[in-house]
Amino acid sequence: MTGNLKNVNVIGAWLLGFLWLLPLLYAIWAAIHPIEYQVRFDIFAPLTFFNFKNAWAQAPFAQYMLNTLIYVTLTTSSQFVVCALAAFAFARFEFPLKNVLFGLVLIQLLIHPEVVLIENYKTIRFLGLMDTIPAISLPYIASAFGIFVLRQTFKTVPKALDDAALIDGANTLQILRHVYIPLSLPTFVAYGLVSISYHWNNYLWPLIVTNSDESRVLNVGLAVFSMEEAGVEWATISAATLMVTAPLITAFLIFQRQFIESFSTTGIK
Amino acid sequence: MSAISIKKLNKFYDSNHVIRDASIEIESNSFTVLVGPSGCGKSTILRMIAGLEDVDSGTISIDGNVVNSLHPKERGIAMVFQSYALYPHMTVFDNIGFGLRLEGQRKHEIEAGVSEAARILKIEDLLDRKPRQLSGGQRQRVAIGRAITRKPKVFLFDEPLSNLDAALRVQMRVELAKLHDQLDATMLYVTHDQTEAMTMADKIIVLDKGEVSQAGAPLELYNSPKNSFVASFIGSPTMNFLKARAVAVTKGSVTIKLLDDLELKIANGDTAVSVDDELTLGVRPENLSLVQAPKAHCTGKVSVVEQLGSQTFLYLETADGPLILEADGSTKIKVGDLAPISFDVKRCHLFNKHHQKI
Amino acid sequence: MKQTVSLAPFASPFAGHVEMSKFRKFLPPFLLLSPSIVLLLTFVHIPAIHTIYLSFFSTPKGRRPSKFKGLENYQDMIADPVFWKVLGNNVIYAITTIPASIIIALIMAQLVNSALPGRPFLRFSFFLPVVLPLIAVGNIWLFFYLPGFGLIDQIGSLFGLPNTNILGSSETVLWGIVGVSIWKESGFYMIFFLAALQGIPRDLKEAAYIEGASNWQIFRRITLPLITPTILFISVIATINAFIRIEHLFSMTQGGPNYNSALLLYYLYENAFVFWDTAYAIAQSVFLIVLLSIIGIGQIFLMDRRVHYQ
Repeated sequence: MTGNLKNVNVIGAWLLGFLWLLPLLYAIWAAIHPIEYQVRFDIFAPLTFFNFKNAWAQAPFAQYMLNTLIYVTLTTSSQFVVCALAAFAFARFEFPLKNVLFGLVLIQLLIHPEVVLIENYKTIRFLGLMDTIPAISLPYIASAFGIFVLRQTFKTVPKALDDAALIDGANTLQILRHVYIPLSLPTFVAYGLVSISYHWNNYLWPLIVTNSDESRVLNVGLAVFSMEEAGVEWATISAATLMVTAPLITAFLIFQRQFIESFSTTGIK
Repeated sequence: MSAISIKKLNKFYDSNHVIRDASIEIESNSFTVLVGPSGCGKSTILRMIAGLEDVDSGTISIDGNVVNSLHPKERGIAMVFQSYALYPHMTVFDNIGFGLRLEGQRKHEIEAGVSEAARILKIEDLLDRKPRQLSGGQRQRVAIGRAITRKPKVFLFDEPLSNLDAALRVQMRVELAKLHDQLDATMLYVTHDQTEAMTMADKIIVLDKGEVSQAGAPLELYNSPKNSFVASFIGSPTMNFLKARAVAVTKGSVTIKLLDDLELKIANGDTAVSVDDELTLGVRPENLSLVQAPKAHCTGKVSVVEQLGSQTFLYLETADGPLILEADGSTKIKVGDLAPISFDVKRCHLFNKHHQKI
Repeated sequence: MKQTVSLAPFASPFAGHVEMSKFRKFLPPFLLLSPSIVLLLTFVHIPAIHTIYLSFFSTPKGRRPSKFKGLENYQDMIADPVFWKVLGNNVIYAITTIPASIIIALIMAQLVNSALPGRPFLRFSFFLPVVLPLIAVGNIWLFFYLPGFGLIDQIGSLFGLPNTNILGSSETVLWGIVGVSIWKESGFYMIFFLAALQGIPRDLKEAAYIEGASNWQIFRRITLPLITPTILFISVIATINAFIRIEHLFSMTQGGPNYNSALLLYYLYENAFVFWDTAYAIAQSVFLIVLLSIIGIGQIFLMDRRVHYQ
């Protein structure tokens, strides 16, 4: 590669990188400056925290944040348990109808929660769980995807370790708990990161099954807040948007490599 | 009393009958070796004793109790695996103490159990390491340590030395023998290596295609194999086999004729042989000798000379077939020489066409 | 079964034991599977079947129970010009966003995989949109597109261009949405290309380089054939996403103006939870179920293959 061509590449790459950040940078600019500087790009424009305070005061973001944390934690930890149990059965047991059952599980990859949300809405209402956090979690807990990736990982655990654990006196659950799960931690981390960001970003289902601030998650709260007819200031909406995404952006900044590896090894959002 | 008593054991994998009516007695405090070529079912039997494979029919008793349907942990056994099967995510301490932890023992009891095993195996300074930081020999010791802490009635070893290099294997054999004396426990050891079997065992059980071929003390198997399979499997280099035909049968001896009409009179206790029967003559390399030409039974052309120092193995082409002969370490014979050979007829074996000793 | 037959001569004295042990052997896997099976039946299989069943009935209203309508809901769907418009939007949305984001993702992956300075910055910047919620992304872009105030008009005004109203005009609104989607998804697809590129043996490229191949020839003859399975895999995921990732519509356009930016799932949501015409929405669900299942079968096939590669 000649020097010139390389320089063109570098400049092009950096331009693309900058362009990709631009929408976010623009929102940040609006959020941290007084309203009169919204579209005046002056390096010396005074900084302000006012927009964040304003947004924080206008909607119960702390409650939304707490709800989101509960929802995401509940969902991901339940997924770990339920999917690990099923994945263990598929990875290490022979039983009648095994392939049929595995096929039934994989069907979930075809029937996305979005296409059956009307029926699931009725089910949640029937169970009396409307407007609760478990209602948001329930349809996602048995994740075909989780079962699939954990099964792949469990299959790589040497069978001799099962034998050794059996002789050491372990029962089925103890083998899972003390041998398979510790040896599959990287997969749990990867799947966990993917699941957390999926659920942090989930909107349509939480919108449908929640209708009060007590159970709304950040995304729904943010949408309700920014769609209010009263005409909220742009700067305030930008600030609210940044507040909602800040935990994710921070987590991504810290765990960038893990995030990228997780998404690429597990392959689905 | 037998520590392990196996009666009419059978095992099928789909339609493959892998263990056929195997009956085995293993004496208390013995070091018994189950030996046979790969695929003979020796590991399957061991795993059935351990409770890792289901029994299709027959019974396995340990210390007089039938254990067919017991969980492995209820059988009073411990097992050392070919791959060691150490838990990669646990330290050596946790590997050794895992069984005690599952039993719900207290912390100080676990520590006592682990440190006793570590002391016996001299691995006290490795307790904080993970298995991947250990050499093959050290991993082997940890695997044995894990077995010791269970204080089992019976130790089961599944080819535990086959992943070690030759020198370490010899050293570990000695240590296992010492450990056997020290622990005063019953040990059942599976291997495909007849040298390991011969050097370590009180009793050897030879398996062939899922059946017990012969059981007995190492020298008993070596000197009086019941069939040509055991005769060929035990001993290295392997026994020579030559085609033969019975020409005269008397009480206590059979005269046979080899391919080149050489006649040999072989001592034999059985008379179920008649003239003209097709037989196989078996003779070990050390029961052939180089002699002065007049005393020779036949001559062979030397094709390979293998000098091991204390002895020399000669690979010979004779009119009766190929032979391996064990000669002195000092022999001067060279490739291409004609060697006069004598058979030690008192130590020759005859097998009928069903491969049984006669 | 085979085993039981071959056991017959031996099984008799232990028949009870054999049955017992079979039960004991098969109980644990079924217990392990039971939570998943119950949840999947409740939230996937039964709803899907029930959706198909209900699509032949009318919406119950007040005291009026639902009654069998045969294919009427589907006939309504076919006769509904909005449905066709929305379906058309979705097809345009898919066939523009998918190739564009795949090409951009491939360029991004090449850049991040090269020896350029500042690679961590590039990787961060390209992947960041992936972790952001689409709702929030919608807000950010809404501001970006804002007539007069948005950055696009700000830059345009520097060159004396008139103000735009990308999201307010029927002609441009769908392109506004397409832009957001490309921005959001490219970084996600980039990481698959990155993994694929890193899997190409270096000596293949070096050998071609020594033989005098140009960069373009190396890309065309070596890189591209080797990453074709990845392109296929991404295309399938991207197609599914084009039908189910619609949250930005909520914060940006609500499908408007005049359904010019509405996508299928959004229209379905509106019918079900805004107009409460459940029967009609359910017929649309069936349409989506069938469509996505066909695409998804391809996905499972590719996912299995991918796993075998690794």
